[in-house]
This record gives sequence, C-alpha cells and structure tokens, in this order.
Amino acid sequence: MSTTSHKTWPKLTSREEFRFLSELVLKRSTGDHTLVSVQDQHGGTTRFASNQIIQNVDTRRGSLSVTVAFGRRQGTAGTTDFTAGSVQETVARASQIARLSPEDPEYLPPVERQDYVTPPTARAETAAAGPARRLEYANEAIAQCRMEQLGAAGIVSSSMATVGVAASTGLFAYEERTEARFSLTVQAGEATGWGASAHRSIDHLKIYERTITAITKAKRGGEARELPPGRYPVILEPAAVAGLWSQLLWALDAKSYEKGTSALSGKLGQPIVDRRLTLRNLPLREDLLGVGFTTEGLPTVESSWITEGAFTQLSYDRFTAKERGVTTIPTLDAPCLSGAGASLPNLQELIKQTERAILVTNFWYIRTVNPTDLTLTGMTRDGTFLVENGAIVSALKNFRFHESPLQVFNRVEAFTHPVEAITSETGKLLVPAMALRDFNFSSVTRF
Amino acid sequence: MPNPNKDELAELVLKRITASGAEYGDIRFLDSRTQTINGEDRRIASIQDQQDRGFGIRVLYHGAWGFAASSVLSLEEAPRVAELAIEIAKGSASLAIEKVKLVDEPVHRDRIVTPNRIDPFTVPLEQKTALLLATMESLHRQAGIVRSRASLWARRDQKLFVSTEGSRLEFDLLAVGGNFDATAVHEGRFASRTFNTPYLRMGYELIEEANFLVEAPRLATQAVEKVQAPTIAPGRYDLVLDPEHLSLTMHESCGHPSELDRALGYEANYAGTSFLTTDKRGTFRYGSPHVNLVADNCEPETLAATGYDDDGVACQTWDIVREGIFVGYCTNREVAPNIGEARSRGSNRADSWGSVPIVRIANIGFEPGQATLDELLADVKRGIYIEGHGSYSIDQRRYNFQFGGDAFWLIENGKRTQMVRDVVYHGMTPEFWGSCDGVADRSHRRRYGFITCGKGQPGQSGWMTHPASHARFRNVNVIGGQAGS
Repeated sequence: MSTTSHKTWPKLTSREEFRFLSELVLKRSTGDHTLVSVQDQHGGTTRFASNQIIQNVDTRRGSLSVTVAFGRRQGTAGTTDFTAGSVQETVARASQIARLSPEDPEYLPPVERQDYVTPPTARAETAAAGPARRLEYANEAIAQCRMEQLGAAGIVSSSMATVGVAASTGLFAYEERTEARFSLTVQAGEATGWGASAHRSIDHLKIYERTITAITKAKRGGEARELPPGRYPVILEPAAVAGLWSQLLWALDAKSYEKGTSALSGKLGQPIVDRRLTLRNLPLREDLLGVGFTTEGLPTVESSWITEGAFTQLSYDRFTAKERGVTTIPTLDAPCLSGAGASLPNLQELIKQTERAILVTNFWYIRTVNPTDLTLTGMTRDGTFLVENGAIVSALKNFRFHESPLQVFNRVEAFTHPVEAITSETGKLLVPAMALRDFNFSSVTRF
Repeated sequence: MPNPNKDELAELVLKRITASGAEYGDIRFLDSRTQTINGEDRRIASIQDQQDRGFGIRVLYHGAWGFAASSVLSLEEAPRVAELAIEIAKGSASLAIEKVKLVDEPVHRDRIVTPNRIDPFTVPLEQKTALLLATMESLHRQAGIVRSRASLWARRDQKLFVSTEGSRLEFDLLAVGGNFDATAVHEGRFASRTFNTPYLRMGYELIEEANFLVEAPRLATQAVEKVQAPTIAPGRYDLVLDPEHLSLTMHESCGHPSELDRALGYEANYAGTSFLTTDKRGTFRYGSPHVNLVADNCEPETLAATGYDDDGVACQTWDIVREGIFVGYCTNREVAPNIGEARSRGSNRADSWGSVPIVRIANIGFEPGQATLDELLADVKRGIYIEGHGSYSIDQRRYNFQFGGDAFWLIENGKRTQMVRDVVYHGMTPEFWGSCDGVADRSHRRRYGFITCGKGQPGQSGWMTHPASHARFRNVNVIGGQAGS
C-alpha cells in the first residue's frame, strides 16, 4: 500500500447537497419551525500496541437530525439513511413527537440567519489522508521505539467531516472540518512515557518530536522512587494543566450558577484564580480546533471568560441568555489560557529554575469529589519525576491528588508561554506549563 | 429504491474477502433505534428518536486485522467497504510481528430476541412524558429542592452477523432504563440524590415496576437531609455497601483489570493496563474467601447476555475470582490463546456498526453469601452504610482507587442511624477486597449495570450488568470529600 493511495474516498455531503437536503426537509415539514442538521464524516484510526497494529479501522457515517416544533412543542428525530424515503420518514417522526410533546416553557425558535467567522477548519492534506498515511505515521513511531527496544502503544487518526445547520428562520451554516490525532505511550518495563498531538492538519502532528518526548520519559522512568503523600511544589506540564482547567470550564454554566448549584455561584466579577491568568476563546487560531458555528447555528466568537484572574463570563444556554438580555452568546470551542507578565519560553526553562518540585506529565481519571468547592481527584500518569536544582533527578511512583482548581491556581509560582495541550479525556487547549506551590498529593500507588 | 437484501450483501462481501486470500472475515449489519426523553426542572427539555443504521466488515489477512464500515447500505458501497477492509488488513499485515490466530468456535446459526412484556417503543409518548413531569413535580414539592432531572431511555438493536466460517446470527435486542434526581441547597452548599433503575434487557415493564412516583418523595426528602447532614470525620470505618454502589466498585476494580486485552497491553495508551497480569492467574489472592466474582453472560435480562458476542461466540458463565483467588479473564477469539485457552469466553463486543469489537467486561457479579443485611449491620460498632454511585477514580492499572456514593448513613452499635455527607473511601484493590468479611444472601441480590463504560480508541461505550448483594468491608480508609483532605 503506497502512502499516496489512488483510492477514491467517498464524497461527503457538499454545501449544495446540504442546501438541497435542508430545503427538502423544510418543504416537507408542516411545523411552525424546523431545524435540520447534518454531520457527514469519514475517518479512520490506526491503533498499535506492543509495536504492532492491533486495530486498523475506517468508518464513514452520515447523520441527519430534524427538529420540528408546533408552538412550544418540539421533537427531534435522526437517521443515518439519507435516501428520500428515509428523510421523509425522519421529518414525519420528528413531527409526530412534537405533536405529542408537552409544551416546553423554555422553547425558543431556531436562531435566524447569522454571519459567521470562517476559522481554518479544514485542511486538504488531512482530507486526502487515508489508511496508508496513518499506517506510515504509526510505523514511524513504532520504528523509533523498536530501535530503542521499547514498546509502543498509540493511535494515528484522521477524519474529514462536512457539517451543516439550517432552519425555517433562514439560518444556513455549512463548513468542512478535518482533524488528525496522534498519541503514544512508550513502555520501558514498568515505566511509561507519553506524548500527544491534535491538529486540523495531519502534517502538523509532530510524530517524531512527540515520539522522542515519550521515549525520553519512559527511559527516565525506571527505578521509580516512592515519596510519601503530602503537599509538594509541582511543575505541571501543559496536559496536566489542561486536565484541571477542563473541569473548571464545565463549572461555568449560567443556569447552575443562578440556581446556586455551581462551585462558581456568586463569584461573577470576582477573582477566582491568580490575577496574571486570562482565559479566552480564540476560534480563529490555527493551532486550536475552533469551529465556525455551534450545533444550534450560533456563530462562535472571540471572548474572554476569566480576565486577569477574575471570573467574567458565564456559559449561556439560549433561554437563560434571553432571560438575562444577553444578545451575543459566547462560545468556548477554542480555549487559550495565558499568563501576563514574565513567562518562560518553555518547560525546560521552568525546570532549570526550579529548586525542588514534582514534575507531572499528565493526570488520569480526574473526577469531581466535592462539586461545592470543585475539589477534584485523579492520578498522575506516564511520567512523574522529582526535580532538584534545575534537573530531573529520578522517577517517582504515581500519586493520587485532591485539589480544587479554584485553590491551586491561586498558588502560581511561574509559567511558560501557552502551548498545545491534548489529554485523553478532554479536547485541545492552549495552556502554559505551570509551577505551583503546595499541591496536595493524598496517596501513592504501586508503580 | 428499496434497501438491498442484507443476506445478498453479506454473500457478496464475504465472497470478496475469501477471494482475497484472507483467512477470516465477517460482516455486521446493525439498525439501532434509541429513544431518549430528558426532563429538567419540571419541563421536558428534549425528546430524541435516533435511527442509526450501517454495516461493518472485519477482515483478518495473514494474521492482521482490517475493518471498514459505512452508513450507506447499497450494492455499490458494500464492495467498496469490503475492498477497503481488505486493503487495510494488508497494510496491518505489513507490520505484523506476531500473527493473530483465532481460537476455534463452532458455527452457529441462531436468532436471539429479548423477551419483553411491553415493547418500550409502543408505549405512548404522552404516558412517558407525563410520568417524568409528575416525578419532577413530586420532587419539587419538597422544600429545599432547587433542581430536578428525570429521564427515560430505550434502545432496540436489530443485528445480523455473518462470517466466512458459516455463522449466521440474527438479533432483536431491547434495553431500557430510567432515572431521576433532585438537588437541594443549604447554606451555600448543594447536594443531589439520584434514583436509577438498572439498565436491563427488558421491556417498559422495568419502568412501570420501578414506581417513580412512590420513590420520588423519599428521594427528595433524602436530598434535603443529605445537604444538611454533618460531614464525616476522616478515619477508619467499617463499610456496608449496597448492591448499586458495589456494581461500580466491582466494575472498576475487578471488571477492568480482568479484561485480558488490557493485561496484554492493548489499552496501554488509553484505558490502561492491569495489575492482574497473566502470571497471577490461579494463584493471586485478590480478596478474602468471601469474595466470589462470577462472569455470567447467560443470565436473562442482563446487558451482556446477548446470546452471542460480536465474534459469533456463544455467551458463557465462568469464574473471575473464586474464594478470593483470581482465576479467570474476559477474552475474545484473538487474545484467548495468550493464556492457553482453547475457546474464547465470548466477551468481544462493539458499540455500533461503525466500531470494531473489542474485549469488554462481562456481567461480573458478586456471588451472594449467607447473611441478612441486618446481620451485616449488627456486627458494626462504628461504620458507614453507602448507597448508589458518587465520585470515582482509579489508577490505570486498577490498584489505587477512591469511591464516593450517593447517600451515606452512620452505623452505630449495629444500627443505621443518621445521614452524613462528604464520604469518600480510598484503598488498594486487593487489600480492600481482602477486608470483605460478609456478603448478604440471594434475597438481597440486585442487578445494576452500565451503558457508558469507556474503552478503546476511537472510544466505545460498553454495556454490562453487575449483580450483587450487600457486603461488609472492615477498617476502610474514609478520607472525606473536602479540598486538602
């Protein structure tokens, strides 16, 4: 199989086809309002473990969703079958549900026609990539690990999707989106090292760089020492920072805020983290995975959520936004956390200036323990090290932590420029690596 | 144009696979219908009825896998997808070190149908929404309740599996579930109490028998009591755990480590590996002699009891832990030979037509003991009784865990007394199960399970049921749920 396969990949729903399809749905619907959306996706994943391919998959899935409303009664039906008969049946099913539904006091008609920014959501090289390209990249990582007599486990994936939203209000949005991902866990006996990347362009996965990072961590991970639980200064690599911040982002919901069931209730406008930190949404950044519009057809917008440490923006559903007179609903599809003032160029510089700290590559299985103060727990994973006098001196057994981001991000000592951060349980963010004081490691595991 | 006949498509595809020189191939057609009704704060927030239809083709070529799938069911698309699966398998084979060789399985030709009294898709929508609205109204009648949610879920999977070995299996499977919760606030805190039916392969009778309207006032009262309850002092406590709570503890600390693909490193980059390495099978003390954990994919109504798995292997019953000793794994036809087993345990399942089947946790259940719940409580001087699911987290090899719960009561001098809050217990898996000194009898047995068990890349949701009776654990480390604890 050559890397420039001559296969013709299935053609996904084009803008013109989506316009035809949406007009057909809108014409068939007798509802007061109708919303139609399509996600037509083709992609695949090459998965490897113990230096060989264990799964190699390729899936094409088209999904059509129709929401019909009569007054305040609404229903949604979906199908993966785009044939005329199925489309007709889906409209009928949504209509039948709507007729039988109770009135929803929070119902709002679909949004009207919008103007959209056009983020760089699709890259031709990713759209053209098929299983051969994925296999080539997997082989590159595996070969590096084999040379070092280490074990590689990971994935290379790529996908292309066309996404459209249209409504009886005149709303029409359509865009192409591509995405490629690479992640690698290198095993050296008991020790593991990890690296990951995600980008709209498969050319930007940095396979070699991430592989070397994971190999280096795995090789350093042998003979891990056990330190007792306790509070330690830490250096959190970007993936670890992203893991904690992702939990904080889910607490921004406006309705929960108003009902008093959010850890942030009552804190709008107040400082919640170190005043040097600002969280913005930057949908036009090429190194994030921003989109042009939401599933409801709302345009994504650049916005500031935490500004110089203060909580400045709630995440609104359309009903709550209307109740509060919010006319532009901010989105959080492309988060970027940055620090003001002196920041270090990279992680290596942060390590160099550290007298003693625990370096955390990544967190795993982060879950809320106490939603009232946003206490989280989780485990360190795939590279936990002791740093002394500006250098890594040994590997450490993994810790469990108990911390609230609302507390720990008020104990910031230093940070780098924001860089790409991907975790297995969250999306992609731009965040800095950070040095923090008194991080609470509550127990140690056996490896 | 009518959809092409599935058997004709299967024949077309399997002929191509055989002609390619591949040693094995199968095709799975799946037509899933899912109805989800979500209520929130006294309103029906959404009703969704999703039809998800497509097919997936697996090819084993020279000991390496390829898989391709499509939602387009047509005479043109099926051969394209088959050729793609073959091409992908050939690519995998180019990097193969150890060739996959499937263990034998008899050829099966069968049809499996979920028995049910009330087809959930025939129940009038108005009846379902009225139940959810009445449930939420009932919850809000309790002073102090500020938020509520209630939902119903039903799924029908119509599946056809055909393999190059001659197996042909047809399925018409149902699954149903429902739940509601209430959130109370008090002095700047908030707390929720949740009622879950188990997810089971039954009809709508599961929902009718769950008596939402009888349970709702109790749940609302307990939510308010919970948010006002005193916090627990950290320390060592005896725990008595209810079957719903145990379903999660078993799932995380026994279910996942007993997946053989994890033990072999297949999930090293995502879900993790397992402390139950293959050298431990038959000798490792996983728990006390009271601990008997049995995988039973044959028990009617349970989620993994589908007759056959997605390898076409008949469902079975086997031991995972017998009298505290780890003895068995969940396997598929690919990994079973790695532990010298001549037959798969039939635990290979995919979550859709577009996903490749992977080893999933079986219906692992905790075998009942001899005690009554009162007898378990009677022998506790200072302990905590825990119901339901709360916060949970475990390391990637499944040693270091912590679990919360949905509701907690102090046990004082053998009696369940007042509610407490912020209970989180922490432990190491073998020590925790080693501290089990009593299990309630079969009359206390309940079946809870999951439809959202995450594993695999791309991620898939696994379904399985974990029956249990109440059980007692001695001297467990309760750490409390505040920051800094």
